[in-house]
Amino acid sequence: MKKDCCSKLYLGLAAAFGLPWLLLIVVPYVKLSALEPVSYPEDMKAPDGSTVYPGPRAGEVSLGAKVYAREGCNYCHSQMIRPTYAGADLWRPGWAGPETDRESPKRETRPADYLGETYAFLGYQRIGQDLSNVGYRIADRDSLHQHLYNPRSVSPDSIMPAYKHLYKEVYPDGDVSGDPKIVPTGEAEALVDYLLSLKKDAPLPDKAGAAAGEADEANPQS
Amino acid sequence: MSSETEKVANQNLQDRIAIDQSVRLPVLFFFTSGAVWLLLACALGFLSALKMRNPGLWDDCFALTYGRLYPAHLNALIYGWAMQAGMGTMIWLMARLSRAQLRAQTTVIVAGHVWNVAVFLGILAIFFTGGTSVVWLDFPSWLWPMMALCYFFITIWVVVLYGSRREKEGYISQHYLIGAAFWFPWIYITANLIIFHFKGSAVMSAGVDTWYVSNLTFFWFTPIALAVAYYIIPKITGRPIYSYSLASFGFWTLAIVAGWMGFQRYIGGPFPAWMPAMGGTACILLLLVVITTGVNHYQTLKGKFNLVTYSPSLRFTVFGTVMFTGLGLMTAMSSYFTFGKYLQFSHAVAGMDILAVYGFFSMTMFGAIYFIVPRITGCEWPSAGMIRFHFWFSAYGIISLVAFQVVAGYFQGYDINQWSKDFMVSVNITKGHIVARAVAWLLILSANLTFAWQLLLMFAGKGRRSQGATLIHSKPGAALTSDEAAAGLAKGGAKA
Repeated sequence: MKKDCCSKLYLGLAAAFGLPWLLLIVVPYVKLSALEPVSYPEDMKAPDGSTVYPGPRAGEVSLGAKVYAREGCNYCHSQMIRPTYAGADLWRPGWAGPETDRESPKRETRPADYLGETYAFLGYQRIGQDLSNVGYRIADRDSLHQHLYNPRSVSPDSIMPAYKHLYKEVYPDGDVSGDPKIVPTGEAEALVDYLLSLKKDAPLPDKAGAAAGEADEANPQS
Repeated sequence: MSSETEKVANQNLQDRIAIDQSVRLPVLFFFTSGAVWLLLACALGFLSALKMRNPGLWDDCFALTYGRLYPAHLNALIYGWAMQAGMGTMIWLMARLSRAQLRAQTTVIVAGHVWNVAVFLGILAIFFTGGTSVVWLDFPSWLWPMMALCYFFITIWVVVLYGSRREKEGYISQHYLIGAAFWFPWIYITANLIIFHFKGSAVMSAGVDTWYVSNLTFFWFTPIALAVAYYIIPKITGRPIYSYSLASFGFWTLAIVAGWMGFQRYIGGPFPAWMPAMGGTACILLLLVVITTGVNHYQTLKGKFNLVTYSPSLRFTVFGTVMFTGLGLMTAMSSYFTFGKYLQFSHAVAGMDILAVYGFFSMTMFGAIYFIVPRITGCEWPSAGMIRFHFWFSAYGIISLVAFQVVAGYFQGYDINQWSKDFMVSVNITKGHIVARAVAWLLILSANLTFAWQLLLMFAGKGRRSQGATLIHSKPGAALTSDEAAAGLAKGGAKA
């Protein structure tokens, strides 16, 4: 009798939680894990020349992502562009694509944009800028190093911490009396590789185009 | 009184003392070590706010960047303080309600020590080797099996105690405790496996993280705090719970709804749109729990509100339940597009997390601790003045903290959504609020210094030797000399 009543409670608890666990977590996880890079149709290419979406990323990006995680960047920077119903991210210059290009249509971030990463740093707060497409906003490696080494030398009001520990002071020619040269460590270079690789605006392989492509393949005469 | 009933009453008292003795050491261990972590967490909360306002501070120290201070603060608060306070309360309350003795003190204490070692290693790792940047799961991924095992060896006894209960039906508080004990490992293991060990979808890993944060709040903190509220409020007012069926409805609604919450943090995120929509819907349905629980507590308290003037346990608990209402309303509001797009990714998110962990959960736990510790140590709290100080500085601190965070968050989110405004506008507008955040943590820290001090005195057996409980203000007349005085009525009270 006692046991009955007890197991009924546990059964209820398991059912109440098991349903969202299965439908909200397990099933979507399995489905989204099956996503793979897709080839563009023949007449289409990404701006960087890649023939698949999402394209390969250059440099030490996986080490860079580790540094990004370790330094807690995710607490202040998001990597998620919301569609228009949920905010004005698409309009903000530089957030959803190259800053210079104000004309072409912009899009929100999609699950496939994060393929190849082990964890999608969608973010907790936006104390700093969204970094989904920060790769377009960085002029060159040196200016990014400057920003990481001393943020307030680039943006006086910035509240970003300085990451001086990712840099070494080197005295050229062993002359300790002179000014040291600031040299990035391998980790700083990897972090810069990672940040430069953040471009989540590649054109989506058009469904209609892809379907047409398949049709072409099936019937080369047409 | 006939000698027969006197004998039964005496036997009950003896039983209760034996039960309190059996849980004394583990419960005290969790409370005191939790209190020390709480002090550290408050200090880190202050330092992280300070660092955010003055980003140039400690520029040359790699371990003291905001990206390490803040996760260290959050994780110390959650795993160091909140979970330990919760586990201590769970054990005591379950033993008391089941009228069963804890047979495995040593196991629980050993597991408790290992838990503390794990938290310590985790915090050290965040500072010196860096965290994982997974919100609320910042400890390095090799630590979680250790913590899961400790949790198992601690809360399995909550389940065992429940199994040996004398009342078959079980109280509503017991249901909540069993729910918390049972759900957490499921949630914790799922989240850790998917995020750290399975090589699947990266976006779902992030989604699972926000789901984990929501579940830890609503499937662990919330049930334990509500279990305490459903125990303390009837106990101190000496009244039965206003409506047991309403309480039961609230419990099952929470169980059904809370698991769907979480993804609303990423409205517009890279997920199938139904997932955040489901989260938002669940947040609004959660209002059913908030409203029924609120009404139930209000009706139980009706006409006896003056008791919050005297009883520290009741005052903290009632404050906590009021904060639960606030949390429910704000969660619902922020999952609604109109406000959500401004509050999302803003200071308000962090504010609501702190509201849940400190304003709601911790304040309720203080209520439980003020009730439990005199019973297991056999002495009373040394100073009513210190309890007053603890309450007012905590309450003032947490309300101002949350208010500033939410207002700052709205300004910040509003400015970010004005796309033509320079981004720095949204940064500069919140700088003043960050000062307030630092000050609020100082207030909370000072409040908890008095709390920890009193707790250590109690631990050392240096409390007041007295027949009567320490009341916040001495009460005219002798009606409430002790919380225990109401016990006779309340025993029926917590039950159906």
